[in-house]
Amino acid sequence: MDLRIVVFGLATTMALAASCAADGQEAEPAAPPRLPGQIEAVTFGLQSDEPGARLYGRECAYCHVGRNTGTIMLQHRLPEGTPAQLHERSNLPAAYVKIVVRNGMVNMPPLSRAELSDEDLDLIADWLAAGPTR
Amino acid sequence: MPSNPLPTGVSAEAFSTALASFRDALGASGVLDTDQDRRTYIDPYAFGDGLDHEASAILAPAEVAEVQEVVRIANRFGVALWPVSRGKNFGYGAAAPVRRGDVILDLSRMNRILDVDVQQANCLLEPGVGFFDLFDHLWTENIPLWMSIPGNSWGSVVGNALDRGIGYTPLGDNCEAICGLEVVLPDGELVRTGMGAVGQGATWRNYKYGYGPGWDQMFMQSNLGVVTKAGLWLQPEPEMTAAVEIAFPEFDDAGWAVDILADLRRRDIIQHNVVFGSPVRAASVLTQRADWYQGEGALPEEAERAIMERYGLGWWNAKVSFFGPAFQVEGSMQLMRDLFEQRLGRELQFRTWHQGEPYDASARGVPTTIGLQSVNWFGGRGGHLSFAPVMPQDGAKVLAYARRVKDIYREVGQDYYATFTIGRRHINNVSLILYDRDDPASTGRANTLFERLVVEAAREGYTEYRGHIDYMDTIAATYDFNDHALLRLNNRVKTALDPNNIIAPGRNGIGGRD
Repeated sequence: MDLRIVVFGLATTMALAASCAADGQEAEPAAPPRLPGQIEAVTFGLQSDEPGARLYGRECAYCHVGRNTGTIMLQHRLPEGTPAQLHERSNLPAAYVKIVVRNGMVNMPPLSRAELSDEDLDLIADWLAAGPTR
Repeated sequence: MPSNPLPTGVSAEAFSTALASFRDALGASGVLDTDQDRRTYIDPYAFGDGLDHEASAILAPAEVAEVQEVVRIANRFGVALWPVSRGKNFGYGAAAPVRRGDVILDLSRMNRILDVDVQQANCLLEPGVGFFDLFDHLWTENIPLWMSIPGNSWGSVVGNALDRGIGYTPLGDNCEAICGLEVVLPDGELVRTGMGAVGQGATWRNYKYGYGPGWDQMFMQSNLGVVTKAGLWLQPEPEMTAAVEIAFPEFDDAGWAVDILADLRRRDIIQHNVVFGSPVRAASVLTQRADWYQGEGALPEEAERAIMERYGLGWWNAKVSFFGPAFQVEGSMQLMRDLFEQRLGRELQFRTWHQGEPYDASARGVPTTIGLQSVNWFGGRGGHLSFAPVMPQDGAKVLAYARRVKDIYREVGQDYYATFTIGRRHINNVSLILYDRDDPASTGRANTLFERLVVEAAREGYTEYRGHIDYMDTIAATYDFNDHALLRLNNRVKTALDPNNIIAPGRNGIGGRD
């Protein structure tokens, strides 16, 4: 199906939504923290010295960094004040990350061992578990 | 829970022996057959639990020779394979096979970018290369080539092209950007098409057709081989881009808007596939249904108007981009102003970019997963399905069809969500169908709506160009000239190349027999 069809116009839509809030035309709560732009999100971790960060950038960031679907889903579901980007969280035990990746969660599909090996998943889970002060 | 299905026509004992042979060929890590492994390949957008398309095992080769060996073993044991490049064909069944129990052949591990020819603007890819992988490579290496990006960019560049997916920049008819394939045939023989068949492939990615019949199309939306390499054309970075988003305030504006935009497309003044969509397209990404309406039946028009007002949208919202030398892009901008500003009663706001400026303002395609967000419309585990008939570029006809479809949505009780995609000579009026996969009433409505749309489109001679695994036979049956002569031809070719029906039985309605 046509996921391809839904994205156009969203940049403007979101900009409009943001400007409405800024103009006080909408009773929105305080603006969420700034998210990286799409190129920054897509290239997250590429230059990192840490294997866990590079793998997170390659295997997770396309949904969980920037204004992508994982971030938006979690913005809807997490309590206020909890960061929606996984790499900013300080409460993600490695075992929990691995269970979610292999089993999926609500609208997150699971990742197979062909797409992401157990060894690479261990590196990602340990890196996330170390939290943002890593 | 998974239920240990077997490939069609294969006993448990024979399958066990076959798996041992696959392990010999691929190593233990190349055969995935635990309950959890099989669960990870269930279609995440399936109606209900998805077990009706559950695989019996997954094979994950890393080399072409391994694919050849897998195909030979599969023939020996009569085990049918369902090849996927990365298995992210969401909305069409993802990685799941048509027939329950068939073995998924997952090419995710074959993910090498074998070459990028910067000067000739092309690349050679394995099927496991994703859109993010290719973008990262071009970015990191500072290569001035741009790629066509589909709405859901999680999938394979090659796989998307082979299923005739599209993007929204030049070269966005992704199957047209393919130039020469390497394919493992159903008997395990390796063949290269086009100029790839010559020597070491010195001109593989320069000319598509080769000598004699051109076979690239034979391996698209088909089950006549397993593609293991593909040449692909890329877009040289332009000197300038300009992008404009146009809001058409009324539903009926689709008629005249389609006529103008399609004319520009036919003349190649607009060089990319244009899409414009209805309010729920934006709302389903940014919000949930309950934010707008909590009653029964389809989203009422007042809610649709509220969405438009909140986000400053029109009924239809299009994005058009121009790419090229500055004088040409600026000329196109002026043409757009002349065509639209008076009719719309306001100025068009272009976002321009010139070579050397930060890319964020450019019309360059950047991969994204934001479109996947639409399945959150109902909360819970969502999914989507689409019906996207090919239609002529005739505004009056597509508007009349769209009106009837909108009425059908309301009769069925489904929130209206449509887009028009304008191709080079055709239009797709895409009906997007969102559902809660765990609510039988919701999936029942989705199925009812899909079946009604097939019938409605067929009245005018329109039908789909692409199909979900649950509806492949339904769609194939609409290609009915001379009592379905095309399907008979497809099946004759299938039988000749794949007498054991090993590769993807039922794909696009071909080789569906047990």
